[in-house]
Amino acid sequence: MQPRMSVKAGMLSLVLLTLFLAAWHLLVLAQQGPAVEMDPEYAALMGKQATEGASALPKPAEVGAELWRHVTDPFYDAGPNDKGIGIQLAYSLFRVLTGFLLAACVAIPIGFLIGMSPIFRKALDPFIQIMKPVSPLAWMPLALYTIKDSNLSAIFVIFICSVWPMLINTAFGVASVRKEWLNVARTLEVGALRTAFRVVLPAAAPTILTGMRISIGIAWLVIVAAEMLVGGTGIGYFVWNEWNNLSITGVISGIVFIGLVGMLLDMALARASKLVAYAE
Amino acid sequence: MTAPLAKTPKRGEPIGDLMSPAPDTRKKIIQVEGLERRFATPDGKSNTQVFGDVWFSIHEGEFVCLIGHSGCGKTTLLNILAGLDAPTAGGVIVDGKEISGPSLDRSVVFQSHALMPWLSAIKNIAFAVESRWPQWSRKQVLDHCQKYIDLVHLTGSESKKPVQLSGGMKQRVGIARAFSIEPKILLMDEPFSALDALTRGSLQEELLSICAETHQTCFMITHDIDEAILLADKIVLMTNGPEARVCEIVENTLPRERTRQDAYTHPNYYPMRNHLMEFLVSRSKRFSQELSSGSYDPRYPPVVRPTAGPRDAGASKAGEPQPAQDGAKYGDPLR
Amino acid sequence: MGALSNPFDPDQTLWGGCSCGQHASQAEHDAAHRLTGAAPAPDERERLAEGRVAESAASDRAAQPADTDPDVAWTDREAVLARTVESAVLRGVFGGDASRRGFLRAVGSATALAAISQFIPLDKLKAAIVEAKGPLEKTELNIGFVPITCATPIIMASPLGFYERYGLDVEVIKTAGWAVSRDKSLAEEYDAAHMLTPMPLAITLGAGSVATPWTMPAVENINGQAITLAMKHLDRQDPSQWKGFVFGVPFEYSMHNFLLRYYVAEAGLDPDQDIQIRVVPPPEMVANLSAGNLDGYLSPDPFNQRAVYDGVGFIYKLTKEIWEGHPCCAFAASRKFIDETPNTFLALYKAILDATAYSQVHENRKEIAEAIAPRNYLNQPVTVVEQVLTGRFADGLGNVRNEPDRIDFDPFPYHSFAVWILTQMKRWGYVEGDLDYAAIAEQVYLATDAAAVMQEMGMSPPETTYKSHTIMGKTFDPAEPEAYLQSFAISRV
Repeated sequence: MQPRMSVKAGMLSLVLLTLFLAAWHLLVLAQQGPAVEMDPEYAALMGKQATEGASALPKPAEVGAELWRHVTDPFYDAGPNDKGIGIQLAYSLFRVLTGFLLAACVAIPIGFLIGMSPIFRKALDPFIQIMKPVSPLAWMPLALYTIKDSNLSAIFVIFICSVWPMLINTAFGVASVRKEWLNVARTLEVGALRTAFRVVLPAAAPTILTGMRISIGIAWLVIVAAEMLVGGTGIGYFVWNEWNNLSITGVISGIVFIGLVGMLLDMALARASKLVAYAE
Repeated sequence: MTAPLAKTPKRGEPIGDLMSPAPDTRKKIIQVEGLERRFATPDGKSNTQVFGDVWFSIHEGEFVCLIGHSGCGKTTLLNILAGLDAPTAGGVIVDGKEISGPSLDRSVVFQSHALMPWLSAIKNIAFAVESRWPQWSRKQVLDHCQKYIDLVHLTGSESKKPVQLSGGMKQRVGIARAFSIEPKILLMDEPFSALDALTRGSLQEELLSICAETHQTCFMITHDIDEAILLADKIVLMTNGPEARVCEIVENTLPRERTRQDAYTHPNYYPMRNHLMEFLVSRSKRFSQELSSGSYDPRYPPVVRPTAGPRDAGASKAGEPQPAQDGAKYGDPLR
Repeated sequence: MGALSNPFDPDQTLWGGCSCGQHASQAEHDAAHRLTGAAPAPDERERLAEGRVAESAASDRAAQPADTDPDVAWTDREAVLARTVESAVLRGVFGGDASRRGFLRAVGSATALAAISQFIPLDKLKAAIVEAKGPLEKTELNIGFVPITCATPIIMASPLGFYERYGLDVEVIKTAGWAVSRDKSLAEEYDAAHMLTPMPLAITLGAGSVATPWTMPAVENINGQAITLAMKHLDRQDPSQWKGFVFGVPFEYSMHNFLLRYYVAEAGLDPDQDIQIRVVPPPEMVANLSAGNLDGYLSPDPFNQRAVYDGVGFIYKLTKEIWEGHPCCAFAASRKFIDETPNTFLALYKAILDATAYSQVHENRKEIAEAIAPRNYLNQPVTVVEQVLTGRFADGLGNVRNEPDRIDFDPFPYHSFAVWILTQMKRWGYVEGDLDYAAIAEQVYLATDAAAVMQEMGMSPPETTYKSHTIMGKTFDPAEPEAYLQSFAISRV
């Protein structure tokens, strides 16, 4: 039953995709205006939108060709402002993972502290409540100004926006560890550190992983925006560069790659959550 | 007030020997002395005494049950014995030393089994064993765990996670874990209350046989009279809270070699049962009247031995000296 | 004359031309005056210089006789270079031999040098050039650019090998906008950057950022911008019909902003009341124009031409029609970069000047367009870039226009440019209070350095760092900035 169902679901997905692409193609055709009569000398200086009334939106096949071009040559390096999609994605992933891991190193211990100590929870709560809703990109100018390095600033922004979900989830996970498990550890005279690692951490791990999954999603959202702002390298810069050329084809292929990588990141963390999940 | 010397039957002593019980010379493992616990009222302005002036003791190798209605602070009392909670007044002496917190001397079987769901059955036990003997090798630990897995008849389910185990199997792991660290005393908080009757019965029997085999000192909280009669050497009756007290201590007059199948055929079974039932049904509520009637001394709660004697046992009143053949006598002097 | 004669000797002639600077040679000058019989008109720069000297003389700084020693051995290269610089500076200050001579005779050469040192860091300038003969402090540089045709010299110096020629390994890094370019420059991620000519002034003054001494050694381009209107406004080509229009400009501290404000104000519209001016990143201007969010914009190319190319707008007016030869973008660097790595700076400076000179030549423009159009640089269709650079372009109204100087390249950072920009910053309330126009202009716009270096490179720098400009028929006199500022009907002052 199970495999048959996934085959059916897969087929349905394909049908939906086909319908979507067909609708897109028809939309582009519908936007095609009439060709304009022009002096050939003048027309030579104009773009297809002006001369042939072509739609600004590319056809799916054009985007497909563009995607194929990127997939078949992902690592070319034609100067500091023109690198293959693979290199750009690697830059973005490096920033995201660095910021994210730094955030985890900070958020999980502090989350433990908050989860275990009501005093810390009360003391840190106002800060968390104020910092949490700040849009990550609002940090960007501040970061650029104080850190004075756009790459580090981007990492900092990733850090600052991925820290909160992990912190809050860790604190929540730790605070809601069942009392009886802690009591088991107490009656066995287990030390604080061993309790933290052997009881609290595995007990809170699923909640912590949920926080990490939220964080990596936000981090990936933010890196694209941050790189569009700061530029230089990365998938965000790639999209900006295509936009600078008003190339909708390029922008759409950027979107596809961003979506794919975001999905892979989420899948990786979903797999990690499965490893630490437990049923009661 | 003059208290006659307390005598309790030795383990395995024929119950016919009620007329002249030998003095109990066994070592006292636990002495509960004047224990009181108060909780702040929800408004935080005052506090309520859950129980107070609780005195009793447990001898080495003895199985003691505590019976009382919910709300009398049974679990609180057990938590204090375990060191998980602290008394407002009084103290607990274990093996001659006043306790100040949890210890590997006293292991606990929790009502909800309290297994860590991310660990397999054997790993749950290993967690305890490693805590008890941190210097042991991995193999030593696993061999030791296996012994207790076998003891509770879980052989073959070692690597199952708690979620894959039935309720009874889970509690078996809980019991194996508690036994595995070879504590001086095993504390059990209604360990079988969440189980269905059939499972409960078989677990009770297993526990009985393990205790017989290991001579483990046990203290168990229950509200099940049959369970108490089957397992306990001595039953501590607590009145209803708040301000609960130890009403009396009932010595089990059934032979130690009882089983679930034959216990109820013994002539002392119904006297025991009726005595306990009467306590739960009516006396536990109006104990305060008995208290005010005079001669109750909380340090020496009356000890009762209900038997199928000439006068139906169990009718004795606290503080009232009873002839020995009535099965009633004053409790053990605590010191 | 001779570039190497002592410039503080009043009897020497520094100018290749005549003493008044208006004729190709002294002979021609004399002939002209013989014909008219009139005395040379007093140079307006003379007044300016005298005013400043009087100021600095009050501070009574000790003279440095060593620098004025006329008996320098010409075999000593360093001395020769020092002389070259002094000559250049004095030329810059006085604009003509006549005024210089008069001034030197009046105050004596030692005092003159001391006085001039007050406001121009002669020592530093000389040091920079002398030491520039030593090794480069660093060869790997990062230079930021915003992908527009104004950045042509900075960009094309890379593919066409101008940086390499001076021993530099330069990465030209595309930047998302001027705020980022400024912030990355302030953060020292960029050693130098493509900015807008008002930006070094704004950064130095602390307008919009922390005040940091900044410099503009060269102007990137002149002209080269345009007002583009949406196709729907074909019949509203009179600015008085623009009430309520929303216009885009690329940055607040930009010539685009100041020229647009100037243009609509001349037509009687208050740019803060009657129209809306929004800061929009150039690539988004085209999309916003086609979406109807903008009615028009004054933006850098290629986005004017791109709007035409995509059929969403038409070129209403080239900025050269507002101010012929106005400065636009800047090659800018921090004062710190120049001070700490003078040799590197000079090498870079020369590369930029070379590239600018190359861009100036019309025959090279097609080649440049092809070099800078790819993804690594402007990322635009070649035809679009080519139309901008060659000046043969479709205007969006069906005409092919031919304006060879639609964009042009002239690196010389006239101080008078800075003074004009400062008047407009004050006019529209971007800076407040009293401004020492000349002092700021001379601190930030390195016109004297430019003249010295251009001279050394065999180029012919202009003889004066101040000149008057004509904007929409109205003359701007850099000697009278306050009076100019007061002359506007619409103004925030």
